[in-house]
Amino acid sequence: MKDRPVLCDDKVRYIGDPVALVAAETREAASEAVRLIDVEYEPLPPVTDPVRAMMPDSPKVHEGGNVCRQTSLRFGDVEAAFAAADVVVEGTYTTGTQIHAFLETEAGISYLDEQGRIVVVAGGQSPHRDRAEIAHALDLPPERIRVITPYVGGAFGGKDDVSVQIHLALVTMKTGRAARLVLSREESMVSGTKRHPAVIRMRTAASRDGRLLANEVEIIYDTGAYAALGPAVLDVAIENCNGPYRIANAKIDAYLVYTNNMVASAFRGFGAPQVLFAMERQVDRIARKLGMDPIELRMINAVRKGDVYVFGNRMEGSVGIYDCLRAAREHPLWRERGRPVELEYPWLRRGIGVAAGMKGYTIGALPDRGSVSLELNPDGTVVVGGSFTEIGQGVVESVAQLAAELLRVPVERVRVLFADTERSPDTSVTSASRQVFLAGNALRRAVEALAERVKDLFEAETGKRPSSVSFTEEGAVVDSGRPVPLGELAERLEAKGLGRGVVGTYEVPKVEPIPGTLEIPHLFFMFGVTVAEVVVNVLTGSVTVPRVVSVVDAGRVINPLNFTGQIEGAVVQGLGFALMEDAKIADGYLLTRDLSTYLIPSSKDSPRIDVIPVETFEEEGPFGAKGIGEVGILSVAPAIANAIADACGVEPTSVPMTPEKVYWLLKEAGVVDKLKAGGEGHG
Amino acid sequence: MVHRIEREFSFVLNGKPVKVRAPPAYSLLEVLRYELRMTGTKEGCARGDCGECTVLIDGEPVHACLTAMTQVEGRRVTTIEGIDPGHPLVRAFVESGAVQCGHCTPGLIVASYALLSRNPRPTEEEVRDAIRGNLCRCTGYAKVVAAVLRAAGA
Repeated sequence: MKDRPVLCDDKVRYIGDPVALVAAETREAASEAVRLIDVEYEPLPPVTDPVRAMMPDSPKVHEGGNVCRQTSLRFGDVEAAFAAADVVVEGTYTTGTQIHAFLETEAGISYLDEQGRIVVVAGGQSPHRDRAEIAHALDLPPERIRVITPYVGGAFGGKDDVSVQIHLALVTMKTGRAARLVLSREESMVSGTKRHPAVIRMRTAASRDGRLLANEVEIIYDTGAYAALGPAVLDVAIENCNGPYRIANAKIDAYLVYTNNMVASAFRGFGAPQVLFAMERQVDRIARKLGMDPIELRMINAVRKGDVYVFGNRMEGSVGIYDCLRAAREHPLWRERGRPVELEYPWLRRGIGVAAGMKGYTIGALPDRGSVSLELNPDGTVVVGGSFTEIGQGVVESVAQLAAELLRVPVERVRVLFADTERSPDTSVTSASRQVFLAGNALRRAVEALAERVKDLFEAETGKRPSSVSFTEEGAVVDSGRPVPLGELAERLEAKGLGRGVVGTYEVPKVEPIPGTLEIPHLFFMFGVTVAEVVVNVLTGSVTVPRVVSVVDAGRVINPLNFTGQIEGAVVQGLGFALMEDAKIADGYLLTRDLSTYLIPSSKDSPRIDVIPVETFEEEGPFGAKGIGEVGILSVAPAIANAIADACGVEPTSVPMTPEKVYWLLKEAGVVDKLKAGGEGHG
Repeated sequence: MVHRIEREFSFVLNGKPVKVRAPPAYSLLEVLRYELRMTGTKEGCARGDCGECTVLIDGEPVHACLTAMTQVEGRRVTTIEGIDPGHPLVRAFVESGAVQCGHCTPGLIVASYALLSRNPRPTEEEVRDAIRGNLCRCTGYAKVVAAVLRAAGA
């Protein structure tokens, strides 16, 4: 949805909206020039509460009204299911505005190359799409623009949309000169995209024997001043709001709402962590009401491979949630949760909580294809090219490793050319935990294409087409001949004019949009379970997390270090989301504009983390792998909330669970007074 | 045209004496990155919150972004460029998977280097304390702590 101006015209919709661009030779001169700009504003009433923004008499952020997207879905017979239910649990849950806070802010340079093209070198997640956005905004043919995405200092979805790219290109287009733009931390926090703050109402029905019967859900996501990737985020929220469970009856009403708040878009989990916080709290409350073990209850309802999920989509990929739950149940942290633990002070309470999560990876029903190039060099090295971006997740290393595995060459002989619209083919966006899956599969096809090329070569040399080509440590084995080293192959291909390079293209099998429901249903899902241990200080409401177990259905693990690194990082981001990342916003103004007021976890906040892969085999994945980038964050916040409930008998409903909020919950429940009166807690 | 006022500063950078002309209001971080083009030291916030720009002055870790050039005059500055890439600590970061996007890595290595210089066998808690001012958004710190402990054991 293209609703966001590069520079504002006559209306400014949020505090990060750009109104003017100054280019100067020094920072001092630029600051001086900015000081001389005088903008006259006519203040409009701010629209900052998404629920009020939906009312007909609300001032409008955009001409078309404040509801940017609305979806209502009905499956099964919800009313009958509620009438037949033994237990009904209801709650309203809110989650906050999480800021990506990557350590490298949005930054880049631009210049004209010797052919007159505008080259933009900037942090991003999709060079080809960034190029299309620049071309569209500046009305230039895409061939006039080259986008290079070098190693990026963290993204987490926050660089999925364009940030500095168009502004850089604009300055170079207007001046013909090189430009540099690096956002300050404050500029990054104010203007960058955020995780959608959410209000979620849920009513969930279950039978006495623990079967989830129906879910009634209202989802309100505040997308801020512009839609950005909000419509797709809302779709992912809808798709995952019932959790990884078989629920036959559902009523879902979802709204994406414009406000004058900061813009929300992609953030690791892409809309799923908010709804899963609500759903996994609901499931835990049902378990408590039924007196059932919360893992047992989840196992009874867990979706299995081949199940038709609530939207009518069949779960055809690997579905490891049942195995994840079983592994979590066997972990000592869960098994020994009843064992008394000596705490340092009488005002501390310990609790253990569990939560499950799911999310589709790849981009669902949207066209999702990517290409990877493969070239043999006479010196025996191999060059792999693709537009995947290296945002710290290790995709370059993983792709090199896959190429080495497929061609049986040492990984040091593989060079990866990535994320340059001029030199690497379009592997599409690096998001939705899709790149190893996509690039890996495209690479597999490139290797098949290379085998065909080798057959062409032998046919050209001998007049007879060989029937098989395989790659061994000594080189390519054609039929049963002697192995031909790859360097020699490159020379012989060159000599016959056949070309040393091939391209492999993979298209993700897609599900059709389900009419009237999901626009982008997914075929492939990741699953995970988090077990969290908390210690709650009843006197202050502060919560520490000594230990987390993250069980992940990762498909086959390709690179164990990258895998555990992704999960550990996601767990700690989830911990920040759950407990401390508290963006204070008043009338659309961000008050917490630095890292001493908007706190992200430090080494002292991060728990001991056990990462446990449940290695299902994803038939469609490269070597059985699935996406792993987002799964670790999905169920962290509800697991911590459920642990707080276990520790103190209170029911957190609002993320982040700051000391203030937890303290008032404890106060309201009488836990604080009971402690002060000298009573014994149950922790 | 904005006129630029400069003065000269002399200090020892990674073992070599340097003289540099820079605006007197510049921080050490600005001088390192903009005047000396030593871009190994990163800027994450420019206000002492994130620890990305950690360097050593006479062996003690400081935020280069909060260090005025007048404080540097005549002293010994060590940046990430001054630590040998083959140093056990650097190798341990690579081998432990302690680097994801890498933006916080220089500051973390410099802070850990200072820790190991004064305490060659730290406990896990001592490592966590020493790097508490160095924010990392990618790793969740587990592999960073493991890397420092691994280097200490080497």
